Formats: sequence, structure tokens, C-alpha cells
Amino acid sequence: MALVETQDLVKKYELGGETVRAVDGVSLSIERGEYVAIMGASGSGKSTFMNMIGCLDIPTSGIVRIDGIATSDRDSDALAELRNQKIGFVFQQFNLLARTTALDNVAVPLIYAGLGTEARREKAKAKLEEMGLGDRLDHSPAKLSGGQQQRVAIARALVTDPVILLADEPTGALDSKTSEDIMQIFESLNEQGITIIVVTHEAEIAGHAKRRIEFRDGKVIEDVAVNNRQKVSS
Amino acid sequence: MIGNIRQQASGWLVNVAIAMTALRTNLMRSILTTLGVMIGVFAVTLAVAVGSGAQVSVMQSINALGSNMALIFPQPDTGEGGRRSFDRGRLTMRDARAIQKQVSGIDDIAPQLRSNIQLIVAGRNASTNAVGTTPGYGKVSNLVAEYGRFISEADVRSAARVVVLGPTVARKLFGDFDPVGETIRINRAPFTVIGITESKGSSFGNDNDDIALMPISTMRQRFSGDSLAGPDDLQLLFVGFQDGISLPDAKREMTKLLRERYRVRGKDINPFTIRTTEEFMKESAQVTGIFQIVLVAIASISLLVGGIGIMNIMLVSVTERTREIGLRMALGAKRSDIRNQFLVEAAVLCVIGGAMGLILAIAGGTALTVYADFPVPIGVGVGVGAIIFSAFIGLLFGGYPAVRASRLSPIEALRTE
Repeated sequence: MALVETQDLVKKYELGGETVRAVDGVSLSIERGEYVAIMGASGSGKSTFMNMIGCLDIPTSGIVRIDGIATSDRDSDALAELRNQKIGFVFQQFNLLARTTALDNVAVPLIYAGLGTEARREKAKAKLEEMGLGDRLDHSPAKLSGGQQQRVAIARALVTDPVILLADEPTGALDSKTSEDIMQIFESLNEQGITIIVVTHEAEIAGHAKRRIEFRDGKVIEDVAVNNRQKVSS
Repeated sequence: MIGNIRQQASGWLVNVAIAMTALRTNLMRSILTTLGVMIGVFAVTLAVAVGSGAQVSVMQSINALGSNMALIFPQPDTGEGGRRSFDRGRLTMRDARAIQKQVSGIDDIAPQLRSNIQLIVAGRNASTNAVGTTPGYGKVSNLVAEYGRFISEADVRSAARVVVLGPTVARKLFGDFDPVGETIRINRAPFTVIGITESKGSSFGNDNDDIALMPISTMRQRFSGDSLAGPDDLQLLFVGFQDGISLPDAKREMTKLLRERYRVRGKDINPFTIRTTEEFMKESAQVTGIFQIVLVAIASISLLVGGIGIMNIMLVSVTERTREIGLRMALGAKRSDIRNQFLVEAAVLCVIGGAMGLILAIAGGTALTVYADFPVPIGVGVGVGAIIFSAFIGLLFGGYPAVRASRLSPIEALRTE
């Protein structure tokens, strides 16, 4: 059974009296352990597609199945639980809570998982240490570099031990050196068995993935395995 | 089960922590919003307390009158309706004696005539309310002579020119000098001061010590003969009852007796009015109750304004933090989690404001008690009530913004700049 599966997925918007088909009948499946790059120009529908498989956006029609669960059958509480337990999000702008320590930022998903204070702190601390931020636990985002902030965000995405990591332009706000660091982290996470789906318009970033799906005008125009996978320069 | 409760408690604590962070972030705004609730809770709490104070004050003044008694006036009792079979109210000394003799459970009676008199001594003068009465007055009204003695039966029999002064009158005429045994002139006639009553304080700005007592016979002869219909008429009769006597029963008994004496039939109006202290208490409780409701209603307007301030600022807060809401939803927050977060934030704002308002009200109440001699009791009940009520205001006015926040679509909220 595929981990992520879509069937004839459609998302329509009304924009200035015109109907825009942002995603127009996409059917594809992503297996457990894959590392997928979703590419396309801006407006190609790649982000809308990702938002729907991340249960953040509701499809106009079609089916999304996450780990066998059809999301259209679920109410908002069940979708919240699904996002909390199975999906980790990494955003372009990091989306960390200001004036909140790295530790508390990472612990946020655990609040909604229903963990007590002690358990939250322990798990969050462990994830931050994995990300090499063991000495930055009490720093607020303003006191961290861009790369450090994104690593806090990755720790937050992973703290509930999800099966899928969804990253939307994760390096869009970072310089190329830091981007490489982040890509290295993604690769090692993928080696640990986490399914990674990255939305990007940068070929270099997509080059780290094992599979590349190209969107144009809401449709998949290319879906290929990446053979000449780039090795990260040290 | 217990783990679940602990998790929930921890969830609420997290919300309080989130709320405190959010409120600190916009400190000035939070303080200003809190001020609105503070003023509202201050006003309502003080209104409740002033209302209860008025109640206490009225009860005290009724108790000062004597706890278990009836007052009979020679006024037609028009309260119940019916035909008037007489020209004016009647109440005589003979009625008083008949009541004392025939009605059961009577402790003592105090027939009275009242008049305003002028007292003069050594160039000083004072004007006061004089009561012509019998020795029974002391017993019925719980009034004793602190210095000297009270009016005696012999004084009444001989229409002696003696007077017992209230402390206020005594101070006006004699200062700190002991007046017992001194002679004063009342409306030109010489009187001997035989005693000073103990202080009864004041109720509602009315000085209970501004009084002079003399034998009813003396009063009748010298000061009020003209204003009465008959030589035996009374202006007021106090009837004091023993403890444990049912005042409604006693009132029925006295009414029956007086109706027989004046031959009042059927539904005809009585030429006299009987009021018991019990009735006074009930009536005053009603009046002060209405007074309190009106006060609280007026004060509630300020609390309403404070609540609207809360709603306003919570709407601003939700709008400003739309992206945060979207993020929290992406990370697994359910709608109820978001709703509770903002509810708690509103409640925290209100409870802080409420606590400050309560402290202000306690200070204001204490000031009123000390400087205006008006009791303003703020008990534990009122205090706890004020805090709970503040939280309720927060939930009420924070409810709409919180629900609005919880209804946001995750992706639209996340996309907000």
C-alpha cells in the first residue's frame, strides 16, 4: 500500500470571476521511504498539491489517502490528528513562534499530541540535540541564524515521529552553503526511513531527491527516477 | 483516567502560558484592556457592597428602635382600602392602657407625644425633638440613662418639670460639664435635668442622640395641648413585646381590640395604623434590595463596556496572529485547541482586571466605611464572586473571537502575511 496516494485530485479556485484549476486531475502514489522532489514554476500547482496531501487544504474533488486513510472522510479534528501524528511540515519562512525558545517551539506539536510538560521537554530536547542544537535550547528564533532556525523547524517537524516530511521550498530563505547543510539533513533522515517530499523550483535541490515530479498548469508532466543523484560536497 | 486529567490540566496550563506570552508581547495594549475590566469589576463590586451596606445600616437603625415591637399611629390605615367611617385618626391613652391590659405577651408600652422644643441655659441654646413619654420608653427602646436617672412614674403623675437629655443636646448646652441636677429653660419654663441617655449613634445621617425626654403629662400640659383633638390623645404608641412572641399574631390581636373600641366594621378603614419592626425590616429589605439592583445595573454598564473592549482586543489579536493559528493547526492543533487558547487568553485578561478591580473596590469600601461612616462589607463571597464573574466576562466576550479563530482554514491562515 502506498503511503501517499492521490486519485484524480482537483483543486479549483474562483479568481476574478474565472475558475482556476490549480491542480487538475493528479493521480500518483508515493511509497514509504521515497524521497520526492516536486518541481514546477510558480503557479504550476505544486504547492497546492502539497497542501492537499498535507491535509491543510481540502480538494475540490478526487481522493487523497495517507497511510491508507482517505482524508475526505475525516472531520477537521481527525485531520488535525493526522497532521500531528503522521506529517511533519517544514516551511520556507521557518514559521517559528517569536519570543519563544527553540525548545518550546519544538514542543508545540507535542502539546496537541497530549503529552505532559516533562515528556514534551524531554522529546523536544532530544530532537534538538539530534539537529546539533543541544546548546541552543533556550535561544529565541531572533538569536539564531537562518540555518539554525530551519534546523529548529525540522526538529519540530520530526518531534512526533511522523512518517512523512513535507517541505515547501525549505531552502528558499537560505544561502547555498546552509542549503547544502539542510539537504544533507534531509538525506540522512531519508536514510533513516522517513519519506520526504520537497517542493522546490531549484534543480539543485531537486537533484538530492530520488524521484522528480514536474508540475505544469496543475498537471504532472514528468515523473522520473533520479539516477545521477548528486553527492553532497563536503 | 488520572493521566488523562493530568494531560488536560497540563493543556490548560500551556494555554495560560501561551496567553501570558501573548499578553506580555503587547503589554501596553493588555494593560489598557485590563483597565476597562478593572473599572467595571470595581464598579459592580462596590455597588453590591454599598447595597449590602445600606441593608445593614437600615437593619441597624430598626434594631436601634427596639427589636421586638409594634408602633401604633393615630393615622387612618389606607393600605387595605375600604370605606372611611371617621374624620381623622384616633389613638388615646385609654387605648394604650387597654392594649397593655388585654393583649398577651407585652413587655411594656411607651405612649408618646412629640414636639420641637427650644432649650436655653446660660446663654446657650439648642433646639431638639422632645418626646413626652412614660418610664416604659426606656425599656421598649432599649434606652437607659448613662448618667442620672430616667423618667419615673412619680414624674408622670406629678407632671414634673424634669428632662432627660440625649448626649448631643447635653454637649451643645453644657459641653463636657456634667448637667445632671442643673436647671435649664424650655420654652421659658424652668426644668431640671435628671439624666443623660447613653449614645445610640446615628443612622442614615440621623443623629439618634439629638433628643430630649420628659414626662408625657408635662409635655401635654406645656407643649402640645392645642394640636390634639382630645385631652387624652397620643401621637405615637410603642408596644414592646417579650422575646419569642409572634408579632403578626400580636398585631392581629391589637387590631381586633382597637377595631372593637372604635367600632370599625367589616372592610372599613381603621382609624389607626399598626406597624411592627418585622414589617419595617421586610419593607426596608425590599427597598434596599431595589436600590441595590439599580446600583448594580448602572455599574454593570461599565463592565459591559469593559467586556466590549475585551472582545475588540481579542479580535485584533486573532487577526494579528492568523499565521500563528495556521501554523498551530498545521502542527496538529484541533479547532477546540485554538478556541481554548483564545478563550483562556481573554479569561486571563479579565481575571487580572477583575483582581485589580476587586482590590480597588476593597480600598474604596474601606475608605467609605472609615470616612463616611457607612458600612461597605466586601466579604469573601463577594471577592470570589467578582473573580469568577470576571472569568465569565472573559469567556462571554472572548467567545466570538475565539470561535472565529478556530474556524479559520489552516492553509488560508498559514498564507496570511
